[in-house]
Order: sequence, then C-alpha cells, then structure tokens
Amino acid sequence: MHIHAYEKLWLAASVLLILLLLGSVTYGAVGPGVAMVSDSEPAIDAGGLDEDERFSEPRVEQVGENEYEAYVVAFQFGFQPDPIVVPEDSTVTFYVTSRDVIHGFEVAGTNANTMVVPGEVAEITVETDGAAEYGIVCNEYCGAGHHGMEGKLEVVSQSEFDDRTSGGDGE
Amino acid sequence: MSEAIEGDRTFADKFPEEARIVRAALLGSFLALTLGAIFGIIQTLHRTGIFRGLIDSTDYYTSLTAHGVFLALSFTTFFLVGLFTWAVVRSLDRPLLNTKITWTWYGLMAAGMTMTGISILAGFTDAIDMSADVLFTFYAPLQAHPMFYAGLAVFIVGSWIAGADWFRTWLAWKREHPDERIPLQTFMVLTTMAMWYIASSAVAASVLIFLLPWSLGLIDQVNPTLTRTLFWFFGHPVVYFWLMPAYLLWYTVLPKIAGGRLFSDPLARVVFVLFLLLSTPVGIHHQYLDPGIAEGFKFISMTNTMFLLLPSLLTAFTVVASVEYGARRRGGSGLLGWLTDLPWRDPAFTGMMLAGLMFAAGGFSGMVNAGMNINYMIHNTIWVPGHFHLTVGTAVALTFMAATYWIWPQITNKPIYSRAIGLFQVVLWFIGMALMSNAMHAQGIMGVPRRTAEPEYSGFDYPTMFGGFEELNVQIAIGGTLLFVSTVLFIGNLVLTMGNPKVSGLAETLPPALSGPDDSPKVLDNLRLWVGIALTLVVLAYALPLAAIINRGGLLGPGVGTYPVWLSPALDALANAAASVLGAVGDASASLVEVVR
Amino acid sequence: MRSMGRNETAHAPADDVSGDTEEFDPIGTLTLIGIYFVILVLAWVYIYYIEFLGRDLVVVG
Repeated sequence: MHIHAYEKLWLAASVLLILLLLGSVTYGAVGPGVAMVSDSEPAIDAGGLDEDERFSEPRVEQVGENEYEAYVVAFQFGFQPDPIVVPEDSTVTFYVTSRDVIHGFEVAGTNANTMVVPGEVAEITVETDGAAEYGIVCNEYCGAGHHGMEGKLEVVSQSEFDDRTSGGDGE
Repeated sequence: MSEAIEGDRTFADKFPEEARIVRAALLGSFLALTLGAIFGIIQTLHRTGIFRGLIDSTDYYTSLTAHGVFLALSFTTFFLVGLFTWAVVRSLDRPLLNTKITWTWYGLMAAGMTMTGISILAGFTDAIDMSADVLFTFYAPLQAHPMFYAGLAVFIVGSWIAGADWFRTWLAWKREHPDERIPLQTFMVLTTMAMWYIASSAVAASVLIFLLPWSLGLIDQVNPTLTRTLFWFFGHPVVYFWLMPAYLLWYTVLPKIAGGRLFSDPLARVVFVLFLLLSTPVGIHHQYLDPGIAEGFKFISMTNTMFLLLPSLLTAFTVVASVEYGARRRGGSGLLGWLTDLPWRDPAFTGMMLAGLMFAAGGFSGMVNAGMNINYMIHNTIWVPGHFHLTVGTAVALTFMAATYWIWPQITNKPIYSRAIGLFQVVLWFIGMALMSNAMHAQGIMGVPRRTAEPEYSGFDYPTMFGGFEELNVQIAIGGTLLFVSTVLFIGNLVLTMGNPKVSGLAETLPPALSGPDDSPKVLDNLRLWVGIALTLVVLAYALPLAAIINRGGLLGPGVGTYPVWLSPALDALANAAASVLGAVGDASASLVEVVR
Repeated sequence: MRSMGRNETAHAPADDVSGDTEEFDPIGTLTLIGIYFVILVLAWVYIYYIEFLGRDLVVVG
C-alpha cells in the first residue's frame, strides 16, 4: 500500500496530538487531582428519600476540621437546600440525588458540574476559596418548568457560617 | 473495467426507477429540513429573549424536540438513504435487485417518522392527549406518548431494510464480478451500514424492551441509567452515521468538482474501516458526569474516542490533497497560491469546502468534549450544541445542501434554477453559523446551560468573559436568523428548479483515484473480519458497564417513578389501573433479577 | 481539466495512475494542515491548562 511521505508525517503528528490530549487529561487527574463523578455511592431508592438518613433533610453538615458534606435533593423544579451555605477555605463534598427525573447540578461558571440521576447519588468534592456567591442551574432538561430550576451556593466567611447555622435557618 | 463509460447519459436516464427513489428520499429530507428550520428560528429568537411572543416557554421544549428529531434523525437519514442508493447503483453500475423492497423501506421510514412527528407536534395543542416533549434524547423517566417510541422503532426497522437492500445488490454484483474490488462508494455505504446495524441495535432494544412497553403501562418503571446508556451506545455512532455520507461526498465528489481526483483510494478505505471499528465503543463519553458508572469505564471510552480522531484527521489530509491536485491541474502554483485557482463560484464546491473548514473548527470543540475531566467545564452547557452545529449542523448539513446543487440535475435532468443564489446561500450559512456557534461556545464557557427556554436566572448573573451574556445572545440571534434565511433560499431555489424544463447534457462522471484500489491490501475489503472486530470492541467496551448498571439498579430501575408528559388526568387514572394489573409482570421480573443476583 | 471522463471503478486504469502518484507532492496541503496542527495545540493548551484548570471549584474527589 502506497502512502505518501507527507501523509505519513501527518499521521505521526496526529498520533502525537492524541497523546497530548490523553496526556493532558491524565495530568489533570494526577497533578491537580481532578476526579470524576463515579460509582462510589451505592444506588438509592428514589421513591424513598423521605426515609433516607441523608436526604430526608437536605442540609450541610460539618464532618471534620474544615470538612463539610452537603446533601442535596434535586426535584421538579428546584434544589434543596436553597441556598447551600458553606464556609470559605474548606473542603465540601456534595451528595446530590433526584427524587423524580434526571436533572443537572451545575455551579455556573465553575467546574462543579454533575448529572443527577434518580436512583443514583452523585458525589463530588471541591475546595472553596474566598467568600463568593454562585448560581446553581439545572442543566438537563427535566420538564416544562426546567428553565425556572435554579439554586444558590454561598461561600461565606467562617464567622458568618457559624452565625447562620446557629441562627437556626435550617442549614 | 467493470463499468462502461457513462457518456452523456445521466443517472436519471440510466436508472429512472432508482432516480425516482433518490428524489423521493431527498424530498423527504428537505421537508424535514424546512420544518426543522422553522423551529430553529423560533428557538433562536425565544431563547435569546429577542422575541418570546410566538410560543410559551413551556412549549419551547415541544419545539426543541421537533427541531432535534426532524433535523438530526429525519433530514440526515432521508438524505443518507437517497445518497447511498445513488452511490450504490452508480458505482456498481447496476440497478437495485427489487425496487418493491426499496419502496417498502422508504414507506416504513416515512410512516415511522410521521408517527413520531405527529406525537411531537400534538404537544402544541391541548385538543389531543398526546405529546412527546422528551427531546431528541428521550431520557426516562420523562415519558412520551407510545406513538413517539413506536414511530422511532418503525423508522429504524425501515433503515435496516434499506441496508439489506444495498447489501443484496452488492452481493448480486459480486456474483457477476467475482474477482473485483468493491467499488469505493459501495465500500463506504456497506461499512457505514455495518456500523449502523451495530449501533442502532441498542436503541431498538431500549425502545422495544423498555420504553415502549413502559409507555403502554405494561411495566411500571425503567432504569434511567440503563436506558440512557443504551441511548448513548447509539447516540455517538449516530453522529458518524450523519457524517459518513458527507465523507463519501468529500472523498468521491469534491475532488472531481475541484478538477482533480481522489488522492488515495486505500486511505479512504482505511478511514471507513476505522469508523466501523471505533464509532460505537465510545458512547460513555457522553456520560462522563453520570453517577453510577465507574471512572475506569469512562477512561476506556475516552481512549477510544481520542483514537477516533485519527480517521477524521487523515480525511482532512486526503481531501485537501485531492483538492490541491485539482488546483494544480487548473494551473495553480505556489505554496498556497493554488487556493485561488479553485472553482469558488461553484456553490457545490464552495459549500463543501466551507463545510470542511467548519468541521476543522468543530474538531477542536470535539476534542474538549472528549477530554474526560475537562468535561466538568462544558458538560450540558450551550457549548455542546455550539459544537454539534459545527459538525452535524454544518459539516453535514451544508455538505448535503452543496451536494444537492451537483446531484439534483443528474437525478432529474433539470438544471439548478440559480447557481448564484446557491453560492450566496452556502456562504450565508457559513457566516450565520460562524456567528451563532462562536457565541454558543463562549456562553458555554460562562456556564450557560443548553436546552432551556430562558437561560437567564433571577438569583445570579453570569460572569463576563468573551463578551457579555446579552451581547452573545444577540450574536446567536443574528446567526440563527441568517441560517434560517439561508435555508429558505435553498428550498426556494430547489422549488424553482423543479419548475425548470428537462434538458440533456447534465451528465457528470467521477474520475478514478490517483492511487487506486489495486494499491490497497485486499484485507480491507473483508467486511466479515471488520464487523467481527467491531463487535468484539463493542463487547469489550460495554459488557462490564452494562452488567454493572443492571447490577446496581436492576433491569427496571431502583424505585424510580414515571413522569409522563402526555397523559390527561382521566387517562392517567386509566393507565394507573392498567399499570397495577400489568405491573405484576414487572415485579415478577424484578424479583427474578433479585434472585439471579 | 474537465476531460477526465472516466468513472471511479473497481479497477482504476493503470496508465495514468502510477505516473501521477509519484509526481504529485501536496506541499500546499502539508502547509495548511501544519498550520491547523499548531492552532489545535495552542488552543488546547489554553483551554485545558488556563481556562479549565484555572477555574473555581475544581472537583478533587
């Protein structure tokens, strides 16, 4: 089979490009430590969230020094809790599930983004920096009211976080 | 020589019955294009907030479902079956075996798409208890009217018979020409259809085993991750199903229009074999951010996806080299000066070249989509439709429109009404898409979601990056409007062409490749071997993930409800009654799964 | 050159195939595609290393 020398050159460059892409993704995983949403959480009964220890009361909980867990329920058409309030400079793990259809959970403009599938729990861990307010959008079509489905993530100072959680507004 | 020189006889002269079929398929395709474009302009103005007076935001999703199904399934597939029929008959230089079979598959595809189309469009009115606002991806547990799924099944079965029709015609040719290589165009058709059989089997299974019985109330729940995975098993190769007819045109027709010849027949075959092998075991890259699927499966899918870049990168070289060869023969010189010696006034040429240029840009956003962890940045944002409007929406759609200017006269004996309007139309498409797609990519990086009637929210504003949100909305609306105008010009030009009188002398021929099929290893034509390897790769990529998904959630899902978007309360009660009776079947099978586990 | 009135066939005619293949070096194509390669690499480096890894809330677990 006759292949022109230039075409062989291009073939080599193409393979090099593919290796660059695969190498970058691998670097992202081992360097900055970007991890994928995975099957780390067992399946859950989407119809029985009311009896679930974590999701019957969607909330943010402190689980260690500077470590927090947020149990979030997505539904037609909103998120609970809303807003989600977490302290700055902390490690926050979101556990997100749906009690009805497939939704999305995207902290707009950031890398926190996952599918929310009924019967499954999405687990993503992020590190917060300084105080900031983000919008949360459902980025998967979930029914006629989809465009109104939004929430809020508030990263606040430690003192404000303590005020708001002891102030009894449910977080 | 397997074929006589075509001389002055067009395809319509030589194969009048086949030409009628090709015309019918292309007209079906253009009908879908017209409908899809109407919904497209409604959406582009609604979503960007320029004009929201025509439909309610809740009806936006009916429109979006119609736009997706009519364009991504109907427009593309009807054009494909027309083009493939032309390519098989032309390159084998023999008629189809039995056109009754041909009209049967055409009828099935048309009937199936009509059923699905009606179930979608009924969503605009409350007079009928029917709708299918589930979008092109129809993710359960959102549920469409049963006719939506039934129509899809009939449509797919029709496409299977079409493939069988071409395979049978090829086998008949093979008996008549035992020692010859498969002609290139037929080779492309057969490899594409082999890929299609593998890919569409999963969505057919999903529809027939789960979604249709579920929408009829025969089973009361499904496993959302399972049906979603089966959709993407089909949903990625289907993009190559759209793309392969465009590739066929770039490889076999574009070089001829440029005044040259295909650079390498063997590499064209290699490329199509690679697509057959790699198109399917990659679907999980649409599910990078799905919970319930292990990271390892996602990584395997990414590796396959990245290697799927190879055939497209090779195509870029081969096609451009074929065009350069044409330019040199037309007197072109210099390192890049030859670019000015190409037939830029020919709408077929310019359309296909601009389509290829956009595909090169789409290649970049595709690499980002394929990069597993960078998916966090753009998953389900409007970046993604920005990407596929470059690929299926331009590389494919613009190539089809451009090719129509070349192929239509040969299947009708009527010259195009206005080639000048044609040229203007293809350039307008390019400009419109450049604006729309660029702004969609930029908004996607800001986090603006796809598939929403109103992307502005009450609680927050998007960060300003490459221009503000509003400014990019205007860009999208202008681009979308130009695309609509371009479609109107295309359809109008074609309608006026139909009024032209028949003339003679429109025959076109295709030159052989510079490096011909004799130069390619015989093993490339061994379709059984390639199908065998393709199936093996699919099993390797999907057996474990599917087993894991079924093991986690059960065949019929972990307690997930049903969310019909089409039932009125009265019908709802009826369906519930039916479901409780027939649900026993589901429970029984669910407990069976328990036992097996 | 519109005079190539032959079809793409199973057997390409031997006379003009081998000769042309040796003569034609698609240097223009190599140039164009080389430019494309450079654009791809630069755009990728920007979007992956600067845009993506530089954003808030990187998912680390």
